[in-house]
Amino acid sequence: MTANTLVNSKLVCVALNDKSQLVALEGTFNEAPYKKPPTQPVLYYKPRNTWNVDGAEVEWAKDFAGNDVQAMAVGASLGVVIGRETCRVSQAEALDYVRGYTIVSDFSLPEENYFRPDIKGKCLDTSAPVGPEIVPADTIDNPDALTVNVLVNGEQKSVFPLANMQRSVAELISKISWIMTLQPGEVIAVGFAGERVPVARGDKVEATIEGVGTLTNTLGGA
Amino acid sequence: MRHARIIFDGRELDIDIDTNDRITTSGGEVLDVALDSGDITWLPPVKQPGTIFALGLNYADHATELAFEPPKEPLVFIKHANTLTGHKQVSYRPDNIEFQHYECELVAVIGKRGKNIKREDAMDYVAGYTVCNDFAIRDYLENYYRPNLRVKSRDSLLPMGPWIVDRDDVADVNNLRLTTEVNGKITQDGSTRDMIFDIPFLVEYLSKIMTLNPGDMIATGTPHGMVDMQPGDTVVCTIENICSLETRIVSEKEYYGDKY
Repeated sequence: MTANTLVNSKLVCVALNDKSQLVALEGTFNEAPYKKPPTQPVLYYKPRNTWNVDGAEVEWAKDFAGNDVQAMAVGASLGVVIGRETCRVSQAEALDYVRGYTIVSDFSLPEENYFRPDIKGKCLDTSAPVGPEIVPADTIDNPDALTVNVLVNGEQKSVFPLANMQRSVAELISKISWIMTLQPGEVIAVGFAGERVPVARGDKVEATIEGVGTLTNTLGGA
Repeated sequence: MRHARIIFDGRELDIDIDTNDRITTSGGEVLDVALDSGDITWLPPVKQPGTIFALGLNYADHATELAFEPPKEPLVFIKHANTLTGHKQVSYRPDNIEFQHYECELVAVIGKRGKNIKREDAMDYVAGYTVCNDFAIRDYLENYYRPNLRVKSRDSLLPMGPWIVDRDDVADVNNLRLTTEVNGKITQDGSTRDMIFDIPFLVEYLSKIMTLNPGDMIATGTPHGMVDMQPGDTVVCTIENICSLETRIVSEKEYYGDKY
């Protein structure tokens, strides 16, 4: 495990925030076990054993028998770094609480469903690199206008314009701050492209956002 | 020995409590105050809380109460330190909801770092035990990552403590009476022997997925007996030979004050 000085205490991720993903899954979400599409942000934590840094290796996961897993996938998100205690703030004032922006990569096992907390898939050691740095909030005019790109071994695999998010950065900060008080240094990964990118052992993964930086990691186990 | 964190006489202190209820600070000072004194403010007992795992449906009777088949694999979710509060502190009831219930749970506190821990070695990684009350707001359940953070990760809704009892001071952790009293009346009465997945199983299971670290906690689920809570209610969760945890429910307005 590599200590990550960029994250303090909490890394909360927003799932199902890609409009096109929600449209594609609408039929599924109207059936059991979901019964209706989500009405509120769908959130999960990447706990502290997952935190990792730019340039570091991400472990290839093992299954319960101790064998290498068959498949892993990656998504990348803009990371919003909280600047001061954020409790029950309005959408209009939410961005005033942001210290800066960074990038979060989320390496996981492929998702089978969204019904239960996916501890097995999402809590893998070293699976949440954050970085490479925090760019100050005032250098980004409109975070919702950014685009998150994922490259594997130099090849573009995913493009996610944040304009396609179901909920904006400000709306998410506000809604989350009504559930839980956020503290300085805590990070929200605001949304991932619905299609996560398959990766293989030894792959080099670059998550890049213009104006925020490029977060580079390699997968272990090659 | 028992271990806690308190505010006393304006100081935040790590304390040890011996079998005669004598309190000694980590600096060796003996405090001349009784455990039930109103001069003690109890803090959550884990100084640097790590990942808090919580079990859903880990008692067969509770699973039946919720109309579920008992699970074949643990239903684990994660909570964070914003939810923690101490003994004799308050938790809030959100406005305009129908059903908020307590969940009295035995908590295993991890004391040693480990991965791929075998069941037979699991107890070496447990430092001790405490009690938590894992409140849930059932109105907010949606079938996405259920139980989701909106139900389970709200500020102040995980009272814990008052203290951690050393592992070796609890003879049989798998046979402890567990009760909840609301305003003095027993509403939940079970035993840790009815857990579906016991602590060694959970340590082995979680450590196959991820590294466990000191300060991580496993809240092991609750038996049946859910009752709705209202502002003004006092709830006491007790596990035999561990501790009793008292919480008063307040309204959202009283809890958040000028942030309301």
